[in-house]
Amino acid sequence: MSALTAPGFPEPEIRARARRGTAEVFPDPASYGAELFGPGAAHAGGDALDRARIAPPVFMPERLEKLIDLAREPEPGDVDLTTRTGGFSASLPLYLSAFGSTRAGSGDLAVHASRQAGRLGIPMVIGENMVPVHGYRRGGEATRSALLDRVDAYLGAAPEGVGGIVVQQSTEDADSEVWNLLYSDPATRPLLESGRLAFELKIGQGAKPGLGGMTVVAGAEAEQLADRFTVAEVFGEEDDRRLRCATPGTFTEEILRQQLRFMRNNFPRARTWVKFHPGRDIGDAARVAWAAGADAVTVDGAEGGTGWAPRVFLDQVGLPLSECLRRIGRPGGCLLTSGGVWEGGRVLRALALGARAAGLGRAALIAVDEDPGHGLERLVESIALELRLLVSALGKYAVTALDREDLWWPDGPFDERASLAPGQAAAGAAA
Amino acid sequence: MDHARQPTGPTLPPPLGEHLRSPQLRAAMLVQQEAMQAARDHLRQAGFTELLPPLVGPVTDPGGRGAKALDVDYYGRPYKLMTSAILYKQASLRGFPKLFYIAPNVRVEPEETATTGRHLVEFHQIDVEIAGARREDAQEVAAGLLTHVVEHVWTAVPDLLTELGRQEADLTDVRSGKYDVCTHQEAVSRLLGAGHPQSPDSEIDWAGERLLSLESDRPFFINDYPKGSRGFYDREDPDRPGVLRNFDLIAPHGYGELVSGSERESDYATIVTRMRESGENPAKYAWYLKEAREGIPASAGFGMGLQRLVRFLTGLDSLWQVSAYPKLPGVVAP
Repeated sequence: MSALTAPGFPEPEIRARARRGTAEVFPDPASYGAELFGPGAAHAGGDALDRARIAPPVFMPERLEKLIDLAREPEPGDVDLTTRTGGFSASLPLYLSAFGSTRAGSGDLAVHASRQAGRLGIPMVIGENMVPVHGYRRGGEATRSALLDRVDAYLGAAPEGVGGIVVQQSTEDADSEVWNLLYSDPATRPLLESGRLAFELKIGQGAKPGLGGMTVVAGAEAEQLADRFTVAEVFGEEDDRRLRCATPGTFTEEILRQQLRFMRNNFPRARTWVKFHPGRDIGDAARVAWAAGADAVTVDGAEGGTGWAPRVFLDQVGLPLSECLRRIGRPGGCLLTSGGVWEGGRVLRALALGARAAGLGRAALIAVDEDPGHGLERLVESIALELRLLVSALGKYAVTALDREDLWWPDGPFDERASLAPGQAAAGAAA
Repeated sequence: MDHARQPTGPTLPPPLGEHLRSPQLRAAMLVQQEAMQAARDHLRQAGFTELLPPLVGPVTDPGGRGAKALDVDYYGRPYKLMTSAILYKQASLRGFPKLFYIAPNVRVEPEETATTGRHLVEFHQIDVEIAGARREDAQEVAAGLLTHVVEHVWTAVPDLLTELGRQEADLTDVRSGKYDVCTHQEAVSRLLGAGHPQSPDSEIDWAGERLLSLESDRPFFINDYPKGSRGFYDREDPDRPGVLRNFDLIAPHGYGELVSGSERESDYATIVTRMRESGENPAKYAWYLKEAREGIPASAGFGMGLQRLVRFLTGLDSLWQVSAYPKLPGVVAP
């Protein structure tokens, strides 16, 4: 356990899951028979997505189908959680989100998280700016890069045929040609040959929609990065720490379409993923990406984290995930969502609204911080159990069968709520 | 040569010393020097000036199909070995409106191209650029150049070619100067019709290119590649968005692509936008964009692969057989 904290995120609950796994899905068994239970306060302050209640029906024709299939009453353990995520087979509708190149996201914790994601058989996304900041192996084995350490940890642990590794490249990464390096590196050949390598075009992130990556660097590192990034003095003259800023890159419909085509043309054996910030035109952006052949479109809601961001962006910028999902409507391809995910209910809501899988970012880091050996595995096992319980309660037995009918919105039907006019505050949809 | 890393296959070079002593290589090199002489004579007669190309620079042709540039540490700055000198060709046009290089290029091709017989890491191209020209002008020059070189070599050293197994009939169609033309879209339809899974918005893949080449008796142009399959400098057709005013020239009988060419983008804002569309960071191209902002002439041009040309002339199986110092993709060689 380190000094890693996540204010505003249910950190104690996540740490508890990292220690006790599925035990945390239930109230303390010591209180069984001695305490009366009602709804807790855990979700009272959640965002618009968390306010949707999961609404099982009384009549369950799909349960009957399963009953006929099994010749016995179906149980939560009969729920199929496997899914196709961005061209990969995944054992669960979850993936490990990119952590970016911040210190919290690129040290040993990230390697531990990679190993556990591999063991779990869920896809893993490796963040942008890893190579310009941390380097790639050059001229022999003497220096191992953070990126290759994570690839090795994942590959060493992953069972055959499931999961996959996704590597982002940003505008600055293009200078270092990250995708080219990886694609032609003999070390990644096993991934390519088993169809488990994808490249993700990172267009934005939930923590700071419209801005590029930001990290805090000090002294020599700041000087070393100054020729590739803007390094700004924002912490005061006496402070030797600097803000390192990457550019977000310029996109239009045509630029997006062509970049995706270019990726598919240049790296035909890798899958093509795109990650968007929660932009107001997210519906159009997702449609363009799918039409151009993206194997997965990731939407990072304004609840997204792990990255360093200005306070005003964390608090006031970007659409909440639920509004993004509403604007996308029925997905025209594989949709992935991230932002504020740490337990099964939110994952289920995202899946019911069309997502194929949900990403764990901050929650994964906190979990491995709590227990580097198995924290993420226990957290994921707790989410998997909740999903089995929830999906079976809805009378369904595959995560892919979830639908909008499985949710109830206290503020009126999800699809019919008025669309926001451009420029109007996002909070309007959540209120 | 590091034998441990060689891909399996019958077509790999022997150790370098042995290769350099082989009578076959000697014959091929004699053919090559005739071809270079013929190309230079032909182009100079047509008013072209030969320049010597740069070898390293802050940027180079970003290329495609997974080929990458080699890095060089240049006084502490990351420079690239030239994968092609296209940017320099364009920048030279104001001083040299018709120019050519016989340019050495280095491309770290993906390992799976080692056995195509058509890829070397180090190769040369006859690199031509013409200010104010359209695609059709560049195609005429390319066809004229190929016809002239084949005619000259057959006339000058017929014994060498027959010694290597070439017969007069093999080259008749090229010498007659008859070239066919089809579009990328038509080529894709033909491949799909033949059961080859060719993506309609991509470069023609190696196997597809070979199929098309095999079923043809005479050289042919493929025009109108889709945007996204080629570099940002190939001009997009203003009347047909998404279609490039470019071409390949494919040799018949399975020899495949000899020439790649295009009209070029010369409008500054279009170049910057196209760079973004191909995922490039415009800041890397500062020197080139400064030239473009000040005005690069419209142009068209092409590169004709020298080793591919000599392979076609000699009828040999693999490019390494027509290179004195062959380096195959993924094979560590001296």
